[in-house]
Amino acid sequence: MTSFTPYTYFQCPCTESSLPTHRLSDSSPPAENESSDDERTFDPRAPRANYSLYPLEHLFYCEDCHQIRCPRCVLDEIVTWYCPNCLFEVPSSTVKAEGNRCTRSCFQCPICIAPLSVSSVEAPPSGLGAEIATQSGPFVLNCGYCSWSSKEIGIQFEKPNGIFGQLAKVKNGGGPILTAKERRKDREDRKRDFSGSSVSEIREETPEIDVPREPLDPNEKLDAESQFSNLRAFYQSQLADASPVSALGFTGDYGYGSPGALSRIMGLYTGSTAFDKKAKSKSGAMREARDALEGLQITPSSDEEALVKLHAEGWHTTSSCSQRAEFPNSQAQFIDDLRPVAYLLRTKRSKRCKTCRHILSKPESKVQTTRFRIRLVALNYIPSISLKPLSPPTSSSSSSSLLQPMRPVQFLLTFKNPLFDSVKVTLATPTKTPGRFASKVTVLCPQFEVGANTDAWEEALRENGSRSSTSEKRRTKADFLEGQHQAEAGKVWERGRNWVSVVVEVVPASLSFQGPEFLKTEERRQGEGDKEVREDEDVLEIPVFVRVEWEADSAHDEAGGLGASKEKEGKEKRELAYWCVLGVGRIARD
Amino acid sequence: MSNKRQSMMPPAPKPPTSLSSSIVIAEHASLTGTKLIMIGSNTVIHPRAKLNSAYAPITIGSTCIISERSQIGILKEPEDEEEAEPVVIENGVVVEVGAIVEARRVGEGSVIEVNARIGKGAVLGKHCKIGPLCEVAEGEVLPDFTVIFGNGMRRIDNSGVEDLKMKMVARQVEVLRKLIPSNIAKFQ
Ligand SMILES: [Zn+2]
Ligand SMILES: [Zn+2]
Ligand SMILES: [Zn+2]
Ligand SMILES: [Zn+2]
Repeated sequence: MTSFTPYTYFQCPCTESSLPTHRLSDSSPPAENESSDDERTFDPRAPRANYSLYPLEHLFYCEDCHQIRCPRCVLDEIVTWYCPNCLFEVPSSTVKAEGNRCTRSCFQCPICIAPLSVSSVEAPPSGLGAEIATQSGPFVLNCGYCSWSSKEIGIQFEKPNGIFGQLAKVKNGGGPILTAKERRKDREDRKRDFSGSSVSEIREETPEIDVPREPLDPNEKLDAESQFSNLRAFYQSQLADASPVSALGFTGDYGYGSPGALSRIMGLYTGSTAFDKKAKSKSGAMREARDALEGLQITPSSDEEALVKLHAEGWHTTSSCSQRAEFPNSQAQFIDDLRPVAYLLRTKRSKRCKTCRHILSKPESKVQTTRFRIRLVALNYIPSISLKPLSPPTSSSSSSSLLQPMRPVQFLLTFKNPLFDSVKVTLATPTKTPGRFASKVTVLCPQFEVGANTDAWEEALRENGSRSSTSEKRRTKADFLEGQHQAEAGKVWERGRNWVSVVVEVVPASLSFQGPEFLKTEERRQGEGDKEVREDEDVLEIPVFVRVEWEADSAHDEAGGLGASKEKEGKEKRELAYWCVLGVGRIARD
Repeated sequence: MSNKRQSMMPPAPKPPTSLSSSIVIAEHASLTGTKLIMIGSNTVIHPRAKLNSAYAPITIGSTCIISERSQIGILKEPEDEEEAEPVVIENGVVVEVGAIVEARRVGEGSVIEVNARIGKGAVLGKHCKIGPLCEVAEGEVLPDFTVIFGNGMRRIDNSGVEDLKMKMVARQVEVLRKLIPSNIAKFQ
């Protein structure tokens, strides 16, 4: 059996309103809570519970709402974009224009995702002055982990920097990639040639583009970019023809994203019912792309080629699913279709409370610093709960890590107060844990006070002044209790400066279905047909309702809190209540 | 059983060696066993590298780098006495820290990364690279330019920079020559 680490999860109250009251409200045993106003029992096994339980470290605390906030009830705002590889900050305008990838020289290996480094194909200079001599190209990207190199896909670079820009101009195999502008020009030239002049004339006419121009082939194989640009040009011309007036002004590059243009495109398919009647009468129906020039690709024409290649070179030259996923727009079926993957940018985010929009967490915007300007984490506001067995398990028996059914065990719950005010804690648990196997739970001391988290030096000063400080007294009392080694009901087990331990007694349920009748819950009786212990059903989880009350300084919200219930001067009563789940251990199967 | 007792015995008998005078061998390298250990020119043996020729002779080519805590040689006594095949490491091979090499042959220019294991009788082609913590099974034969990485993934390296890499190993050897004090006399 694997080892089990006890855990404590906190439920964010944001899910409470949407939570259906509970699964079997009529049949479950009534929760005998000390606090009678809350009658519902939180079931940590309910499918929904998965989405509302968090370790304390994952939670925030909104000082304005006085409430716990979880990742589901905060809003994220991006503070900075940066490249995780070179740690350069990328302005959001660049992100919008060039996409969310590093545009410097940061690439990942397409085979194994390790970072690629730039190196010269030539041996580094040696001999006198080798240190100051610059390396001469050509350069390649290579992977130090799987020794992949961009040479394998026929790509080399002239300069060792600005690889992103250089790579954008080279196809796998070394051919040039035309920019959108060049492509448009090329297409227009071709169209003109297609309608009139012969192939030999094209070459003479356009010597400024040094791309060898093939004769126009309506079945030409296009790469993803040129297919997209052809299609776009085609639909733009179609739209322009459809409404020559261009009242909506979508002749521009991005114009056809406008609502009017979209309705026209939809009109292509819906028989143009939603279509502008006038425009229809003028131009008639639009047509679809007809050939490669217009961006039509009949089939992925590489299929036959791919088959031949597969026969010749075998399975290991094909790319894996995860490798292909990096290139969603191209059919990178083979290893040599893959390209270096530019690093995805990361973000630093600030978080806001969804309810009151106040900032809960704001990191320093500089990429290199890990400091926060604002960080209202729940850890600083809510008592943390830790759990350990009261008597450490004897290592002699191997099954000691498992809870023995029907044998009472005592656990120590330690509450540690992060606040500078002392808090009053009230605990409530259902007497039987929810689920098919109900264990009995008793908190021996459900109500206690936890001391303030005063500064350590302050504490020291106080102890200097009067030896017989209260905390010292408590400690000796705790020692005394420890000597007795017996937990007493209604009494705190141990107490420190800002922490308190109480004892919880648990009688784990038996996982067998033949257990005594009185221990069977209704649910278990119902589920009798299903006589399998389901996954993790042997984990004993205790729902605990925690209520924390304290008096806080209300100085900081003096301005808004005119009508607030202020008791003493500058003091305000605060209360926070939430469900927690204690993962105690696994119950042994018999 | 028997090999344990042997290694406990102080002092371990020196194995017969044939060492090129240009090698760099650290004083704290360990050469044990009874069969011949041959090391070619310009090879570097780091401190605490273990070469054990108890069950089969070891041949290491020239310009190799054998790193710390790597183990070269058959480790366990073969069940059949005849079976122990000599371990041959060709020129320009780099065996990284903690790697275990029991191979029959490691091809020229191969790199065996940190804590990788090459099983008994395996044959590595030229310019192979066995990634960190990767394993080559006993008796396996790998073609030239095989790269094993990650979770046992394999590929053939077509980058064609093997000459450059060999040069880089030679340069590394030159640097190590300055860093590691050699003591050939101890092992001859
Ligand atoms: Zn929430
Ligand atoms: Zn970068
Ligand atoms: Zn790689
Ligand atoms: Zn708020």
